[in-house]
Amino acid sequence: MANGHHANGHHEGGHHAGMWVFPQASETTQDVVSKTYTMPKPVVYGLVVSGILLVLGIVGFVIRVGVSGFDAHGPWGYYAATFSFVFMITSTAPLAAVAFRITKSHWRRPVTRISELFGLLGVFNILMFIPLMMVLPPIHNPNAGHHELEVRRTLWFEVPIGAPHWWDMLGIIGLALAALVILWLSMTPDLAEARHTATGFRRSLYGMLAGHWHGTKRQWNYQKAWLAMLGAFYFMLLIFMHFTISTDYAMSLIAGWKDSIFPVLYSLTGFQSSLGLLLIILFILRRWGGYDTYIGISPFWSASKLILAFSLLWCYHMFSFGITYWYGRLEVEQNILKYLLFESYGGMFAANFFFSFVAPFLTLLWNPVRRSDWGPALAGAFALIGAFVFNLRIFVASFNADHVYAHFLADVPAPVFPMLWDVFIVLGGLGLVAFFYLLATRLIPLMCIWEIKEGTMYQKMDTLIRGRYLVLAKPE
Amino acid sequence: MQEGRVLPARQINRDLLRSILESPRWFWLAVGIFAIVTFVAWGAAGLMINKGLGLTGLNRPVMWGFFLVNFVFWIGISHAGVMLSAILRLSKAEWRRPATRAAEVLTVFSLMTAVLMPLIHTGRPWRTVYWIYTLPFIPFDFARGVWPNVRSPLVWDPSAIYTYLTSSILFVLVALLPDMAVLRDRTTGIPHRIYTVLAMGWQGHPRQWKLQIIAGVLLSALILPVFVSVHSIVSWDFGMTVAVKSWHSTIFAPYFVVGAVHSGVSAVAFAMIILRWIYGWQDYIRHEHIDALGRLLIVVATGWFYFFVMEILFGFYGREADEIAVRNLQFTEYPWNVWFIIFVAVVYFIPVALWLPKKFRRNLWIMSIACISVNIGMWLERYIIIVPGLTQKQVFTFDWGTYTPSVVETMIVIGTFAQVAMLMLLFARVLPLIPLYDIKEGDILKTQVQIGRRTVPATFRED
Repeated sequence: MANGHHANGHHEGGHHAGMWVFPQASETTQDVVSKTYTMPKPVVYGLVVSGILLVLGIVGFVIRVGVSGFDAHGPWGYYAATFSFVFMITSTAPLAAVAFRITKSHWRRPVTRISELFGLLGVFNILMFIPLMMVLPPIHNPNAGHHELEVRRTLWFEVPIGAPHWWDMLGIIGLALAALVILWLSMTPDLAEARHTATGFRRSLYGMLAGHWHGTKRQWNYQKAWLAMLGAFYFMLLIFMHFTISTDYAMSLIAGWKDSIFPVLYSLTGFQSSLGLLLIILFILRRWGGYDTYIGISPFWSASKLILAFSLLWCYHMFSFGITYWYGRLEVEQNILKYLLFESYGGMFAANFFFSFVAPFLTLLWNPVRRSDWGPALAGAFALIGAFVFNLRIFVASFNADHVYAHFLADVPAPVFPMLWDVFIVLGGLGLVAFFYLLATRLIPLMCIWEIKEGTMYQKMDTLIRGRYLVLAKPE
Repeated sequence: MQEGRVLPARQINRDLLRSILESPRWFWLAVGIFAIVTFVAWGAAGLMINKGLGLTGLNRPVMWGFFLVNFVFWIGISHAGVMLSAILRLSKAEWRRPATRAAEVLTVFSLMTAVLMPLIHTGRPWRTVYWIYTLPFIPFDFARGVWPNVRSPLVWDPSAIYTYLTSSILFVLVALLPDMAVLRDRTTGIPHRIYTVLAMGWQGHPRQWKLQIIAGVLLSALILPVFVSVHSIVSWDFGMTVAVKSWHSTIFAPYFVVGAVHSGVSAVAFAMIILRWIYGWQDYIRHEHIDALGRLLIVVATGWFYFFVMEILFGFYGREADEIAVRNLQFTEYPWNVWFIIFVAVVYFIPVALWLPKKFRRNLWIMSIACISVNIGMWLERYIIIVPGLTQKQVFTFDWGTYTPSVVETMIVIGTFAQVAMLMLLFARVLPLIPLYDIKEGDILKTQVQIGRRTVPATFRED
């Protein structure tokens, strides 16, 4: 990142070199929109590769249905892990826009649209969830006997009709809709501006989505109020869905696993990995996407501190779980520790611990690394891998624990390794996210233009005593 | 977010040192009242130690009562210091400036008060030496083959608390250096000599400032794990007890930490309102600061509520008869059900409802009520966690017990509140409760940005 003036904006040198960028507000719309219309070669390659993975995933899914059907849930462990990973990152990613908009953090501006765009993938969460509804065992034990529970451990105490399958589905649909509305509200001002220069189907699409937006004061006030309210709703619903998915599709499938901290750990893993994914995308856009005018070091630096905090919290919560179970010396808890942490999935847990805590922590411990673009992105990649392994470890183990209606885990089941079509399914899940996200980037501006422009008004360099410093304005 | 005017350094010194250089009549009256209550409590503790634990309501199976409830409460209050000072310093929140010192000092005094509780609770405090030392020249344990179980959280507790206390004192002292130098230059005689020693040769050289800032940042970062460990370990005193079903929960550690932050920050907000009122610090503790604390408290309270709901839900999740019996006691049987409703209302629903409107957050009376309400509720929370679980600790119902706190216990608990208030006032008499240099630095960094026809408050950022 060179100091001094840039083609479209400028950077200040000295202590602030590259930290904050000052794009020219008058050129932002044209520049960002024109980048959206292009189809660079790396994007084409990305689409091809992710498309192939997606096709492999579909093939794997079809074979899995053919081989196992929907009668038993055990064979669907890798599918459940893939769903959970995709759901975790795609549903949590829009939270970055929501949360940092509420806290009025200036560094969020280049991140918001990148994060909101994941809202488009909510529809795939719905689709991917349908097979899981079909394989989840019922709450009531169909073959209840003396040595088994009549109703397995669940949070749906009174077992309302459709619980948990349809209630979970309802939540996933709600999340997807809320994320879409947030994206639409946020991009309306940008599309209203872009519709004048757009051509072809983009012109009609932008015109339709922008509606009657003219940027009146009343419209802006409504837009901001709705974004705040929907944001708060989205956050609450997301936490609730993390809670239900992590208990209904993991904890309650392992007999005797009663762990109040697990839903929190699940949410933390989601926060950490989705922020990590956003930093990876931000890094790619800054280095090779031509968006360095809008993306300074500041978002990396600020988000790096959050990833560091999430890594520490992850370790803390994991430790709280581990030590409480270990100390109690109850047979059921010892068996669960052996199953999930030390024996059956011990290797997976080691990898999970390394990527979710050790690697990001050691990377981000150093301020010069945090003040770079590559450091936080690298830590983000670690966190993402950690979340992937976390989901594999938890969901494959949960789906293969057997004896769902038993009082407790009497023995430690052996680990289950993937078959070829399980690998296809996992790759397909990753391909799905990449493919449709890349497609979306060609349709919707990757920078939130109005927020970038707003930011240019609130930040400037000024002199204080003998130094040049950043001045940040914070209106109420 | 800036509403106050930029004041000259001389006026800042004069205003903020008023509590030290002048002594209004009410000051000694207030200190006197608190001192009497404290001494009465100490007297009660002395009587109890002399006559034995029979003077308390403790009995089998409820061996942990008011003392331990109060211990957890004061440990909780002590979490305000790090939350406000270290975290807000690291996150460079401008509004932290007038709140940090009071928070740090409250941490120290509440920790000192907290550690008294287990000592009194032993009934024979001198024997607590065996908790810490297992040296050959102390023969008692050796003779009977009794050793502290280093794998017990009861042994980790003192280690964590003393580490936290030491680092908190260090934290306060480092932040106090520039202010002590100001006091050194404004006093004569014996106070001058004392402040000279305490100021440690501070002259305000650039190198000294740099070192002080680095020390502050490093201590802020290093104290965070200690801060989390303290209440986590306190929670594990309960969480690892398999015998008490309602305690054995994996979420206890973060649940206790968030609860501690909730009560601690509320206590600091209330303390700031009181300081503003008694010392006339309207220019320093402004509505914007209390407003910001209110907003922070909404987030913290909601976080606490999330953990609370998790804890309750997973109490039922296991469908274990003995745990459901405890929950049944907590939720449905008088007087626990009434306490429970009051607790949830005053910790979360009432204060958050009061903090939500900006107008209320800027009303100091309403904020005071909300903050006191939180702390009443948090005290109750610990009572509701500790006592019902113990009353039904045994497997057989004929072994279940009850607990009624005695007058002695109640007096000791009341005395701890008087003690902390007295210590805070005495501190304000000798050292500034608002950091002078921090306020001056904040004023230097204030600026404005013109956007169209509006002037928007802004701040110079060093990074």
